[in-house]
Amino acid sequence: MSDQDHPRGPMLLVHRVRDEDDDEEQFKPLDWRLISRILGYAAPIRRKLVIMYVLTTIRSAQLPALVWITARVIKGPIAMGDMHGVLVGTVAFAVLAVITDSMFHFRQRYALEIGETVVNGLREDIFLRTQRQPMSFFHRVKLGRILSRVTSDVEAVRVGIQDVGFVSAIQFGQMVFSAVVLASYDWKLFLVIAAMAPALWLVNNHFRMKFSRLTRASQESFSRVTATLAESVNGIRVTQGFVRQDTNAGLFRSLLSDHSKYNVALARTSAVLAPILELNSQFFVATLLVVGGWRVFHGTLGADDLIMFFLMANIFFSPITVIGNQYNQGLLAMAGAERIFRLLDTEPDWEDDPGAQPLADPRAGGDGGPRRGARVELRDVSFGYDPSRLVLHGVSFTAEPGQTVALVGHTGSGKSSIINLVSKFYLPTKGEVLVDGREIRGITSRSLHRQMGMVQQQNFLFSGSVLDNIRLGRPESTEEDVRRAADRLGCLAMVDELDAGLATQVGERGAGLSLGQRQLVCFIRAMLADPRIVVLDEATSSIDALTESRLQGALATLLRGRTSFVVAHRLSTIRGADLVLVLDKGRIIERGTHPELLALGGHYAALYRQFVQVDDRR
Amino acid sequence: MGSSPESEGPGPSNSELIRRLFALAWRYRMRCVQVLGIQLVLLTMGLFGLSFTGIGIDYIRQVVAHAGAGHPPVGPVRFLHMSLPPGLHPMAVLAILGGSILLLSSCRAVLNYVYAVRVNILVQQHLVVDLRGEIYDKLQRLSFRFFDANTTGSIITRVTGDVQSVRMFVDQVLIQSVIMVISLTVYAIYMASLSPGLTVACLATSPVLWIMAAGFSRKIQPEYAENRRLVERMVQFLAESIQGAAVVKGFGRQDENRARFTRLNGEVLTQQYNIFWWVSLFSPTAGFLTRINTIVLLGYGGWLVAHDRLPLGAGLVVFAGLLDQFAGQVNNVATVVNSVQQSLIGARRVFEILDAPVDVRTPRDAIRRPRFEGAVRFEGVSFDYGRLEPVLHDISLEVKPGECVAILGATGAGKSVLMSLIPRFYDVSKGRILIDGIDVRRLHLDDLRRNIGTVFQESFLFSNTVAANIAFGHPGATQAQVERAARIAAAHEFITALPKGYETVLGESGNSLSGGQRQRLAIARAVLLEPAILLLDDPTAAIDSETEREIFDALDRAIAGRTTFIVAHRLSTLRRADVIIVLENGRIVQRGSHAELIRVQGPYLHVANLQLVDSRELQAAGEGGAP
Repeated sequence: MSDQDHPRGPMLLVHRVRDEDDDEEQFKPLDWRLISRILGYAAPIRRKLVIMYVLTTIRSAQLPALVWITARVIKGPIAMGDMHGVLVGTVAFAVLAVITDSMFHFRQRYALEIGETVVNGLREDIFLRTQRQPMSFFHRVKLGRILSRVTSDVEAVRVGIQDVGFVSAIQFGQMVFSAVVLASYDWKLFLVIAAMAPALWLVNNHFRMKFSRLTRASQESFSRVTATLAESVNGIRVTQGFVRQDTNAGLFRSLLSDHSKYNVALARTSAVLAPILELNSQFFVATLLVVGGWRVFHGTLGADDLIMFFLMANIFFSPITVIGNQYNQGLLAMAGAERIFRLLDTEPDWEDDPGAQPLADPRAGGDGGPRRGARVELRDVSFGYDPSRLVLHGVSFTAEPGQTVALVGHTGSGKSSIINLVSKFYLPTKGEVLVDGREIRGITSRSLHRQMGMVQQQNFLFSGSVLDNIRLGRPESTEEDVRRAADRLGCLAMVDELDAGLATQVGERGAGLSLGQRQLVCFIRAMLADPRIVVLDEATSSIDALTESRLQGALATLLRGRTSFVVAHRLSTIRGADLVLVLDKGRIIERGTHPELLALGGHYAALYRQFVQVDDRR
Repeated sequence: MGSSPESEGPGPSNSELIRRLFALAWRYRMRCVQVLGIQLVLLTMGLFGLSFTGIGIDYIRQVVAHAGAGHPPVGPVRFLHMSLPPGLHPMAVLAILGGSILLLSSCRAVLNYVYAVRVNILVQQHLVVDLRGEIYDKLQRLSFRFFDANTTGSIITRVTGDVQSVRMFVDQVLIQSVIMVISLTVYAIYMASLSPGLTVACLATSPVLWIMAAGFSRKIQPEYAENRRLVERMVQFLAESIQGAAVVKGFGRQDENRARFTRLNGEVLTQQYNIFWWVSLFSPTAGFLTRINTIVLLGYGGWLVAHDRLPLGAGLVVFAGLLDQFAGQVNNVATVVNSVQQSLIGARRVFEILDAPVDVRTPRDAIRRPRFEGAVRFEGVSFDYGRLEPVLHDISLEVKPGECVAILGATGAGKSVLMSLIPRFYDVSKGRILIDGIDVRRLHLDDLRRNIGTVFQESFLFSNTVAANIAFGHPGATQAQVERAARIAAAHEFITALPKGYETVLGESGNSLSGGQRQRLAIARAVLLEPAILLLDDPTAAIDSETEREIFDALDRAIAGRTTFIVAHRLSTLRRADVIIVLENGRIVQRGSHAELIRVQGPYLHVANLQLVDSRELQAAGEGGAP
């Protein structure tokens, strides 16, 4: 897609980095272990599954039977002019038709229900297993991958069950039954006809394969179209600001016609297949006419039996193309199931120790007791996200109950890693983290997190109301509790300024709220949780100055009386800390209070000076 | 995504939409006629093929019957209004019939191929490309109001899915209905010529089937819509639980989350079961209705044959075949009806974009002005988004060429909007803005925007090379120009350190660069055209404090000699400005230089104090003991 005339300029094409998923197989051969694992998810409605097997078998015979009756009536009573026979045959057909279609109701409904139940179970499992994973999983695995497991792969499995599995079985059964009937009438003629089946199968499969290859190419070119489109829409302000509309429009058009070429190629392939299949069936009619006629003239076949062949042979042949088409979908379902199970079988890097005990909660039992902070200690902790590349080396410090610890250092110095360890999002590679004197591995994550409150630079808000988001900190709390918490932070007025107060809806990625307002929600959420440990990771960095000045008071209230860990850009926050840790390349190089460190005149003092000078230049 | 409030409300009526869809199809009339012609030939050939089979069966039965009765071989076989010469060997007759069937179907195969390819070229290569191109073109010209009101997802769906729905109107509604009407008529006439009574008896069920299908579709459509809504909600919750994993874990809310997901997931299941019931009621019933045809065919048809009113092969068997074809076309009715629904929904959303007024456009007698001096004047400017509450009230401001205006205010105070009015990203609701004494609404839009460099709050970079991004506003720029701009923006060093220098391709949204680097590229992009006016919308907002310093030099150089509007929060930047205005709820509450504002009580002093504490303390410490 290089544009030779303009080695640099007006390319607008999105260079898509191929997803890792693209390397995974699109098709996978039928695998009984996978199939039985999939059907295992139908356990809640096992009875229906069993009935389904019976229904499948019966239906395989019903369709050939209906055609058989039709053919019998035509070639027998009708051809002979036997009206009584015609009547009997018609009634028999009607009765069988009623039975067949009544059973079809259950056949169809159960297949759909089984598919949905399996899909439901798979989704449930995916959710459960991913939620169980530690944070490292979420940093490693892209959201899009998990989502495509839950959407397209699960959908492939559903199609596999609802439209492919049982239907193919029935189609196959039909072939068998009709083959038996035909062979019983004239096995030689049947063999001549049946010889065409493999050819049909091969032709069909060849084209299906080619078709799915082309489909893929077309999808890729389409994703270039959508990606470019998305970029154009997201960057519309830039485009208009720089008057680029015409250039972009021309490029988009060329991208569109490129995509349409793939589509036409796709159409050409499928346009070959359909006529070939039809030609095939006409070929079969002609053969039947000539060969069958010849056998009739020689008296080896009754003239009227030929009608049986005409009608029944259709039942024998039509499943071939149906199964052929479904076979591919079946392979897609297999590949989808394989990917889903691979995700489900991903072992968490670590889980809570089996013997882990909850952290004692002094807040429980009586509201009046002193709200003591927790005691947090790091003992000679080394840590690396990749154990072979440590980002923290032998870090030790103690935060006494109620103390504020400020972490200072350049990007990559290890501030966030310490916060991740204290939060038990990661486990130390070496050394110990102790909370209230207990090793963190022996504390259940849940009980620890229930005593923590966290505010980060970019906080995720769930879609729903502001109230819902705040109550995430303590689901059992009432709206009154929330208002009280906001009031304690001195932010109640700011909450009421929102369009609809606490009922304001938070949209896609927190759209609808400004950064400052989102941070406000997070502060109240943390306050409502009434935590013993508070973690603030650049909590006010992205807020505008006026809002920040209004949130300063809230910050102080939140920290009071709780053990807190603070990474902050505003030195006024650091100034009040009981302990300032200066980090460099994963080591604590200075520690003490703000005045002590300034007096020391070392790294901290230099960092501080440099920092303030940004504000003070000129 | 999902429910799109913007597409509801009173739009054009259905008949108006259909009229416009016809107009759209009319543009491609020649191709449509071609395609229909091919179908007509195909239909005729199909009928012949079918009757040959029937003739063949009858012939075989006759031969056998005559042979059994000791009669001489049967008389001439008539077909295609020609008679085969009498006395041919029966096998030769069969071979001729078989050969004709094969010949016919070969021709049909070729024609079918041509038809499918033609239709596809018509819709995918012409219609869809044209329509998408038009929408894209229009999108590029729509004002920011449109993009404020519509999510990216919804806009993308219009260009992708909705356009496909619209094209369905041409190939699956228009062409299909014409084909359907013709074939049904021909089949019906042909069947009636064989036996009028049998035709009426067999077709009696068709209207019942149509009515049932229509009723079913009306019943099931809302159910499917509800299903999509439930699934979307469930998937969204899952996505949020993954994106917000840190929050969920941080507050120990896994159990509550799991319960909520189970509920959402279960709701999908329950609702689906309901749909399944209806689907499984409809298809067997429809299937049974079709079988009634066979029952009629057997009973009544059988009676006709038995009484010699209808030949067995050329009559009953051919009739059965026709009935089959007929039923196929009848089933198409439901598809066509569905397609109409779908294409109407799509058309509504597509035309909404094509019809959207471009509210910011160059006036007819626009003033051309390739270079600006840079004098900017706001005269009593008010602005509202069309809602009740105005965003800006009565702003008046005079800026001389080369001056720097800093704007301070809380989020939502109207800072960005104030700046957006200058390049006419929005038009003022009241008052006017003058550049070099000319109302911006009278200037040529291209001149206006080319003379204004903008750095947005979040530097949006395109997935393209670094150089192409810098030269975005002027694709013809030379390498020297690009480098000069990069140097001004203090970006040249880090760019040359990139793997491929200026030719490095940035990942989507420029993810591979740090915030400071991206912002410097955005500055380079803005200064490439040497604009007289520079708009900087909080260029350090999305950058962490450490890297913030990286771009100060860039800003200093970019600002020099240009009329600049900058949204800023840091004292260091604010101090640099010739004038600072403080916005509160869309009004200027304070204006003056840093030196003036620092002396009076007000929001400015409040912000300044918060930041000054730090530097005072440094002074104190310096006087204290530090070397």
